[in-house]
Amino acid sequence: MLRDERIPDEELIEVESALRERWPTGADAEFESAIAYHESLPTTKRFADALESADQPLLQPRAGVPCLDDQTELLRYLDKEGGADLLPTTIDSYTRDNEYEKAQRGLEEARESGEDTLNGFPAVNHGVEACRELVEAVDAPIEVRHGTPDARLLAIITLAGGFQSFEGGPISYNIPYTKEHDLKETIEHWQFIDRLCGAYTKRGVRINREPFGPLTGTLVPPSIAIAVMVVEGLLAATQGVRSLTLGYGQVGNVVQDVAALRALRELGEEYLPNDVVVTTVFHEWMGGFPPDEARANGVIGLGGATAALAQPDKVITKSPQEFQGVPTQEANAAGLRTTRQLIDMMAEQEIIIDGIDKEQELIERTARSLLDAVFDHGDGDVARGVVAAFNSGALDVPFAPSDSAKADVLPARDDDGRVRILQWGDLAVDQEIRDIHDARLDERARTEGRSRSFRMVADDVDAISDGKLIGRPTASESDSEESGRATDGTDTIGGEGDAD
Amino acid sequence: MVEILGYDTHMGQTVILGVIGSDAHVVGITILEQALSAAGFDVKNLGVQTSKDEFVSAAQKHDTGAVLVSSLYGHARQDCQGLHKQLADTECDAVTYIGGNLSVGQDDWDDTREHFRELGFNRVFDAETDPSAVVSALERDLDHRTAEPETQRVRMNS
Repeated sequence: MLRDERIPDEELIEVESALRERWPTGADAEFESAIAYHESLPTTKRFADALESADQPLLQPRAGVPCLDDQTELLRYLDKEGGADLLPTTIDSYTRDNEYEKAQRGLEEARESGEDTLNGFPAVNHGVEACRELVEAVDAPIEVRHGTPDARLLAIITLAGGFQSFEGGPISYNIPYTKEHDLKETIEHWQFIDRLCGAYTKRGVRINREPFGPLTGTLVPPSIAIAVMVVEGLLAATQGVRSLTLGYGQVGNVVQDVAALRALRELGEEYLPNDVVVTTVFHEWMGGFPPDEARANGVIGLGGATAALAQPDKVITKSPQEFQGVPTQEANAAGLRTTRQLIDMMAEQEIIIDGIDKEQELIERTARSLLDAVFDHGDGDVARGVVAAFNSGALDVPFAPSDSAKADVLPARDDDGRVRILQWGDLAVDQEIRDIHDARLDERARTEGRSRSFRMVADDVDAISDGKLIGRPTASESDSEESGRATDGTDTIGGEGDAD
Repeated sequence: MVEILGYDTHMGQTVILGVIGSDAHVVGITILEQALSAAGFDVKNLGVQTSKDEFVSAAQKHDTGAVLVSSLYGHARQDCQGLHKQLADTECDAVTYIGGNLSVGQDDWDDTREHFRELGFNRVFDAETDPSAVVSALERDLDHRTAEPETQRVRMNS
């Protein structure tokens, strides 16, 4: 039965041994020798210490290619030419699906052809020794970044391989990423991972854990993201994690983003036990990017400016080639430098912006209401509560593909570009808060001369990639609901193929 | 609640919607579901990561007027192989649409569209399509079917 309780030692050891037999490389992931290895690393590779002691936001890109040599070269480049403070190793999609045989074939093809036949670094296939070579080959600490619902073997191997930070969580790597993975089971898998991190922590190797804040990356209301972060933080803390980095993805409205990051830190520190060091990470815009690299740099710049104002502990940067998919190393490094320029130019200025406190208060109040619902649903047990709350819709994530969430909530921007909730579903939020959102959305509806509807959502999803923040209707659209997307006065019905 | 722009002219006409293959891109179909519901269609959203078989059995179960397939991850060609044969085998005469990023890389759109037309799709839409374009197309394509007897609609809803 699912409970928010610490996994006993015997169970940890038993499950760990069984998992290590799932792929040949598991054999080398021996805990005691891993502790000795971590102790042998220079203090500069201690991820948690580097992050927690920084006095300006640290910058970290995403990056992962199949072969060890190429990954080493890529990380060195991002360190030297991009000035990354923390490095990533992004894991490929087959590994995320636990398809290690497919990952193996992809890795072998990549080695033979010299082409990137996988979209990341298959760390399970590479095994402990290769991970250690990578950790030793670069100067900065490295984090495992992925999107794996069942990441237990990945954690066993990469932590033994010298990585000291591990991204993900039971909600944030389930609800936005898959359809059929059962939330209860995913929580049990992550309890194991957090327990393993706790075992390292107890031995003096403080593994940093980072729940994935942006969730579906599409207009996620800050209160929902924060509630999920706190829940994942609580679950991790129970298992012995003592360094937690809670995340949030940029929505693009500066006031709301600064307010959300402050609320995230505030509630994280309030809800999590005192012996947990809470840090925050800000993800630059995770939605659709403009195809034009110059405009994409503008989006990244706004992220850097927001980070300078809000002072999160870490920023995950984007590249100007985000629109096309995986960027070149040059573009990836450029995203880091653009962000750095903004932060360094703004950090020493005193910039006062009206409205942040009020927005923060609204976010915190809403997040508390969602968290109360989680505790109530589980009679005080956060693990059972979160499953039940997603099941009833009391907690929900917009655009969630997972069967474990209702995904009845729909967000839209208000007249100021802040993300509000248009359609509530069964979200556990009182009428007073709902009225505030409704009033803000009505204001936008009046400005635009149309009614509040899903059309706003559709327009908002594309707005930033189209070069704006709010998806305002174009002239022809407000005239007629029948028209297709209108661009520059031309009514193109999306390249539809006429069947007649 | 949200004010919708719908007209009830299509009430009862079932439309199947889903993302095919192992693709998890959900935003497009979420918005399309809203648009179709607002226009009065009875939408069965199969969600992401829906197999060919699931499309076919849903089409059969709901005696659907249209099957709308979405794909954003570039593997639509493989994922859709044989879909139309399976639909034909179950005597499903629904119109079929596909939309999204239908090929990996920068293939010519005319070739891509032609390919999916040859597979049997009645209409092929690119990823930039406005939902209202799909609604209009469905209204045109299903128009002749709205003359079906009232009793059948009742049966479909029950």
